[in-house]
Amino acid sequence: MFSSTREGLALALPAAIFALLLFIVPVGILLSEAFQSDTGWTLQGYVDFFAKPLNQTVFLRTLKLGVLVAGTAAVIGYAAAFSISNLSPVARGRVFGLIILPLMISPVARTYAWIVILGRTGIVNDAIIGLGLSETPIRLLFTETAVFLGLLQLFMPLMIISLLSAMENIPRDVIPAARVLGASWFQVFFKVILPLTKEGLVVGGTLVFTGALTAYITPAILGGSKVLMLETLLYQRVNVANDFVSASVIAMILIVMSFAANLLLKRIATARK
Amino acid sequence: MKNLTAWAIIGATLTFLIGPFIIIIFAGASAGEALAFPPDGLSLRWYLKVFTIESFRQSFVLSMGLAVFGTLAALLLGVPAAYALNRYDLPGAETIRTIVASPIIVPGIIVGLALLRYLVIPLNFTVTMALFLAHTALVLPYAVRVVSSSLNNLRSDMEEAAVLLGCSRVQAFTKVVLPNIRGGVLAAFILGFVTSFNQVPVSLFLSGPGVRTLPIDMLAYMEITYDPSVAALSALLAFMSLAIVFVAERLLGFSRYV
Amino acid sequence: MSEPFVSLSNLTLSYGDTVAVPALDLDVVEGELIALLGPSGCGKTTTMRAIAGLLSPTSGRISIDGRDVTRVAANKRGIGLVFQSYALFPHLSAFENVAFGLRLQKLPEAEIRSRTEAGIATVGLAGFEGRKPAEMSGGQQQRLALARSLVMEPKVLLLDEPLSNLDARLRLEMRTELQRVQKKTGVTMVFVTHDQAEALALADRIVLMKDGKIEQLGTPHELYAEPATAFAAEFMGFENIFRAEGGNLVSDHGQMPLGFAAAAPMLAWRPSGVVVGEGPFRGTVSASSFAGGHREYVIETPLGPIKADAPIESAEVPLGESVAFDLPETTARALAA
Repeated sequence: MFSSTREGLALALPAAIFALLLFIVPVGILLSEAFQSDTGWTLQGYVDFFAKPLNQTVFLRTLKLGVLVAGTAAVIGYAAAFSISNLSPVARGRVFGLIILPLMISPVARTYAWIVILGRTGIVNDAIIGLGLSETPIRLLFTETAVFLGLLQLFMPLMIISLLSAMENIPRDVIPAARVLGASWFQVFFKVILPLTKEGLVVGGTLVFTGALTAYITPAILGGSKVLMLETLLYQRVNVANDFVSASVIAMILIVMSFAANLLLKRIATARK
Repeated sequence: MKNLTAWAIIGATLTFLIGPFIIIIFAGASAGEALAFPPDGLSLRWYLKVFTIESFRQSFVLSMGLAVFGTLAALLLGVPAAYALNRYDLPGAETIRTIVASPIIVPGIIVGLALLRYLVIPLNFTVTMALFLAHTALVLPYAVRVVSSSLNNLRSDMEEAAVLLGCSRVQAFTKVVLPNIRGGVLAAFILGFVTSFNQVPVSLFLSGPGVRTLPIDMLAYMEITYDPSVAALSALLAFMSLAIVFVAERLLGFSRYV
Repeated sequence: MSEPFVSLSNLTLSYGDTVAVPALDLDVVEGELIALLGPSGCGKTTTMRAIAGLLSPTSGRISIDGRDVTRVAANKRGIGLVFQSYALFPHLSAFENVAFGLRLQKLPEAEIRSRTEAGIATVGLAGFEGRKPAEMSGGQQQRLALARSLVMEPKVLLLDEPLSNLDARLRLEMRTELQRVQKKTGVTMVFVTHDQAEALALADRIVLMKDGKIEQLGTPHELYAEPATAFAAEFMGFENIFRAEGGNLVSDHGQMPLGFAAAAPMLAWRPSGVVVGEGPFRGTVSASSFAGGHREYVIETPLGPIKADAPIESAEVPLGESVAFDLPETTARALAA
């Protein structure tokens, strides 16, 4: 009954053509722009981009923050997901609801809160001055730490969700069995939990790393022009200097990094088998 | 003892994830002029002020419209595509799947820039039109994914049974398939709505005179002043999202679709 | 035989490049209950789906009640199909499931109501009208699916493995039910099964299929007593099948002299046709189990293991003991190659 290819294509193609025309073609042209010069194909745009120290700094900072955020999210994520997976089904459902709640809230709102916390008259500075640790407020906003915290808070739910769904697939009595066989908790984690949840880690890691890489709001609000990341740099280059070649280069870097992260994590996961 | 450790970890995680949101609610309820926590006395003045700011009103309407119509358009394209990819043995099905899912892979800021450069400027598209198209493309992958997973749970022999009882193909879809994937379609709508409404990077470059989505407008407002009105507005928006999700969860167990 | 009611001629069915059924010819008489029997992959389900119109034939012709329906859409053929999974509509009540097809015909509400109620009563589900399929047992769902097809008064009712999802007790009950409904309505039924016991018990005629072709067609008695080929014999419980070559019985393991002149290239015996305790041959008992009315032995012989049933009254042969046995001419079934 579903053998008519024409019928199937008629249903599927509008969406595909829409995505192709409004998405793949424009993005493709944008990406190709850095490779074009008056004389033909060139890599000059890339050479020029990486020649500037500021661009190098921003690139390395973005990479560093992405790795740090994903790594920290993984560590906290495992602790949280493991704790949650041992709850009763009702409690587990409630906590799960609270974990995904932030995902539904505007990232602007979620990031804005950090201004209240880290600002000159924010909670942290109040505490520091109140405890007599410093006479004057310390600059906490517009630092890498602020951006790191903001990104971690924004993307950690994705890691926890991925790890939780991976943990659901751990057979029930495997962990007690490993304990009975004499494994320490340390060994249980590295020999049982980690191998059995590595697919969740790959998914979560990719989501968090790419999320951190391509976030705009958090570095814009919490980093400003002092702590530029690739996305904020892209916006600045276009808005301030009409520099579309740099924009194209950054776009390519962001896409390549996202794919590379996914491939790398998958490679690591399969190598451990 | 073990239980206590577990709850301590969960508590700390939730505090980190949800605490800032609670702070926002109170920061917006400040009676003072400056953004602070704990607030200098409590009042609703900033919450009320939000409604008097004209640009917020305009951008709220735009964001609402984009979220509703962009998501509807995405469903209109996505539901048939999900159905075809699920039921038919199509040549190039993997390619179609990748194309339709691609907007999720590419950073939004690049999409916005690309549409600005190659649709708005050369083809004379209005910014609003470009925003609508961009938001539709953005929601499309979610629509296809969520609806696909509902269709997976519906055996195709149900449609064959309907046809043998006299249904046309279209009737089999509307009378049998649609009622059974209603939950998935509604979930896709809510997920798409929230994603679109909260979306920033795609809309960054797509703004013009009087045409700005709400999150972009909030960013612009913050560049001028840090008064508590943005905190109040953030809190209001968060409540709106939560109310939608809460109702959805009650109605159809939304979280299993996320 | 009277005029065929359902007629398949030269029917060829394929999925892509794979030909599932090459050039099939089959005639079904009106009011007949016919079984398409065979192992999975033999083309029986494909043939049934083609009759229903869910699959377009590559070539050939299907006619029902004298009308060529080869190119008629599935929803215009007037055929009922009870799916193996039942394919009940989960969002509708039992009543609405049965009324579904009638509503599509835009019949008057009163007629829909009376026919639906009658249909539900026919399968013994009166009182369950308000239930959703998920709130019914497997057997009840099966009956509901049957009622849903029957109220449409189909010319032909197709059933896909109708008893396979039921437990042993329900199976017997449903078997009787199907026969009763068939007697009552006189509808022509074609059902697909891989279970020879089911086919033998239910069908008026059995179409045994292999690799998309009809291996043998006949009444249950004909197939049971006189399978024509090794494949048919094996399906009908002849577990000991050997080649007959130059006065010997030959298998892949070895050979044994045959006590009589073979009339066919192959010979087959049911376990019950093997004589244990006397005869010209000897073998070693390697397995023995009590099966109520008889005892089942496996005897290791130069031909490999032979299955034999001995009357329960005979003395039990202990495991590992040598025993005399015979493969008599009287119980041998001669087979074509």
